[in-house]
Amino acid sequence: MQFNPCMKHKLIRASARHFAETELAPIAAEIDQHRIFPRDVIARMRQLNYFGLQVPAHYGGAALDSISAAIVVEELSRVCAAIGLCVTVHNGVAVYPFLQFADDRQKEKYLFRLASGEDIGAFSLTEANAGSDAGSVETTAVRNGGSYILNGTKIFVTNGGVCNIALIFALTSLPDAKLQSSVFIVEDGFEGFLRGELEDLCGMRANPVSSLFFEDCRVPEENLLGKPGDGMKIGLSTLDNGRIGVAAQALGIAQGAMEASVKYARERQQFKKPIASQQTIQNYIADMATETMAARLMLYRACELKDAGAPFGCEASMAKLYCSSVASKVTSLAVQIHGGYGYSKEYDVERYFRDAKVTEIYEGTSEIQRMVIARSILSQPIL
Amino acid sequence: MFNIVVCIKQVPMVTELPWDEKTGTLKREAAAGMMNPACKHAIEAALQLRELYGASITVMTMGPPSAEEVLREAIAMGANRGVLICDRLLAGSDTYATSFALGRAVKKEIPDHDLILCGAYTSDSETAQVGPQLAEELNIPAAAYAEHIDISGRTMRVRRLVDNFRETLEMDFPALVTVSMERYKPRYVSFAGLSRSFDGADIRELNAQDLGMMSADLDACGSRTRVRRVFIRKTAKENVRITGAAAVAAAEFLDRYQRSISAVIGRAIEAKKQI
Repeated sequence: MQFNPCMKHKLIRASARHFAETELAPIAAEIDQHRIFPRDVIARMRQLNYFGLQVPAHYGGAALDSISAAIVVEELSRVCAAIGLCVTVHNGVAVYPFLQFADDRQKEKYLFRLASGEDIGAFSLTEANAGSDAGSVETTAVRNGGSYILNGTKIFVTNGGVCNIALIFALTSLPDAKLQSSVFIVEDGFEGFLRGELEDLCGMRANPVSSLFFEDCRVPEENLLGKPGDGMKIGLSTLDNGRIGVAAQALGIAQGAMEASVKYARERQQFKKPIASQQTIQNYIADMATETMAARLMLYRACELKDAGAPFGCEASMAKLYCSSVASKVTSLAVQIHGGYGYSKEYDVERYFRDAKVTEIYEGTSEIQRMVIARSILSQPIL
Repeated sequence: MFNIVVCIKQVPMVTELPWDEKTGTLKREAAAGMMNPACKHAIEAALQLRELYGASITVMTMGPPSAEEVLREAIAMGANRGVLICDRLLAGSDTYATSFALGRAVKKEIPDHDLILCGAYTSDSETAQVGPQLAEELNIPAAAYAEHIDISGRTMRVRRLVDNFRETLEMDFPALVTVSMERYKPRYVSFAGLSRSFDGADIRELNAQDLGMMSADLDACGSRTRVRRVFIRKTAKENVRITGAAAVAAAEFLDRYQRSISAVIGRAIEAKKQI
C-alpha cells in the first residue's frame, strides 16, 4: 500500500498543472460565460496526448496508468472543469470501450484518430425516456443488408457538438426476436447523423453538450462494437470506468475551490483582521481540506484496483459518489467564505459551484451510485 | 552529429525558504522540488539545435536522489539520456565545488562534448556562476545570457543582450553557453514523453568516487566560499518631528541629516550660521 505519490505521478501532476494554469486559467471564466469551446487550446492539448491518456503507445497514446489519468483530469478540472469534462469523457467513455471491446480492425481504424485527438469522441446512452433507467433506450437499429439503419434521438451528449466519433446505444432485434441494446460506432458525416443546438446549462458551459439525431442513419455492420446485444455489458463496464473520470473531475473542482478559499480567507480583512483568523472560517477550511483528501485517497484506490485487473465497479461508484458530494459541499462552502463576492462572476468559486452540481448527476446519479454500491455489498457472502 | 550536454538543477518550488542559521544554506527539504526555470530554456535550446543540426543530448544534474526527477522531466521533453551526480559527500557544495564535480562528470561521461548548455541562473541562489566556472574547469570558451545560437561547421555564433547592447560572439567548439530566459520558450511536456522517461530511460548515477574526487575536493574542503551569516534586512520608516523656531529647527535638521543629504547629492553641505 503506497500513500505517497511516486516520482511519475508528481511529474504528471506538475505537467498538467503547468499546462492548465498557463493555457486554461486565463480563459476559463470567459469560455464559461460565452459557452466557447476553445479549439486552439484543444489543438495544443492534442500534441501533448491529452486525448490518448491510456491508449497504448503503438496506437499513438501515452499509455498512462489509471492514477496518472485521474491526476490529469483532476488538474484540468481544478482550473477549468468543462475542459476536464471534455478530456475525461473522450478518454473514459469514448476511447475506453474501443480498448476493451473493439476488434483489431476497429482499433486500427479508430484508435489512432482518437488517441491523437484528431477525432473527439462521445458516448451516447441517455435519451428523453432513458437516463438512470438505461434499459429503456428507444433508439432502434434495424438490420438492412450489410448495414444497420439507426433512428432515434440522444440527449445531453457531452462533446456532442464537436464529436467526430460517437458510440450510440440502440435496440437491435436478436435472432430469438428479443430486443436488446447494441453499441454502434457512428462517424461524423454518416448520412442521417445530425446534431441539435448546444444546451444552455447551469455549469460546464464551455463543453458543447448537445442532442444527436439519427434519421435513417446507415451504419455499416462492421461498426457494431462487440456483438449484437452487448449494449448492456459494454455500457455498464464503460460507466464503471467513466465514474473514475467524473470522480477525478469532482475532486479537481473541490481542490480548486478549496485553494481559492484559503487564498481569499488569508487576504480578506473584516473586523481589522483576516477572516482566516476566525474560528468558523477555520472550521470550514479544515472540513474542506479533510474531505478533499479523503476523496482523493478513495479515488486513487479505485484506480489502483482497476490497474491491478481486479473488479473496481463498486469502488469506482463509491469514489464517484463521495468525490461529487465533496465537490458540491466544498464549492458551497467556498462561496460562503467568499460572501457576496463568491456569488458574483468576479470570482472563480461561482463557476466551481455551478460546475460541481452536475458531477452528482451525470455518469449515474448519486442515487444510482448508492444502488450499485448496496447491490455489491449485499451480494457479498456473509462471513 | 553534435554532442550536447545540458546541466540542470532541481530547485525548491517556493521562493521564500527558511534558512539554516548554522550552515547559512537554504532548508531545501522544506519544499517540493522542481526544475529550475532557466534550465528549461537551456533544454529547449538544445532541442531546437538538435532539430536543426542533429545532436545527442545528455542532461546532467548534481543533487539528492530526488533530483532524478528533473532528469526524467528533461528526458520527457526530449533529451536522450541523463547523468545524476549524487553523493552525501557532495552536499553543501558551493558553486566552485559544484562546477568541479560537473567538470569531472562531463570529462568522464561525455569526453567528446561539443556544446555545454546551462540555464543563465538558478531561482534559489541566483549566482549565475556555475556555467562560467564549469567552462573554466573544462578550459573551453564560454558566453553567458545567450538569446540565440547559430552553428556553422565547428563554429558557433551566440547573440546576447548585455547592458542594453546586443552583441554577437563567435567561438569554436567545444564551448559552453548559458541560456537567458528571454528566448527558447520551453515546450510543454507530453504525457507520452513522460511515460517514456519512466520506461527504460537511460539514467546513469555517479558518486564522488566514480568521479575520482579525493576528500580534499569534497564538500566544504572543495568549497572555496563560506557563508558567514544570513539575515533578512529589516527596513522601517520613522517619523521625526522637529520643533522650535525656524533657525533652531533648521540647525537641528542639518545636524541630524547633513551627512545623509551629502551622500545623496554627492557633495558636502554645510550650515552657514547667520548672526
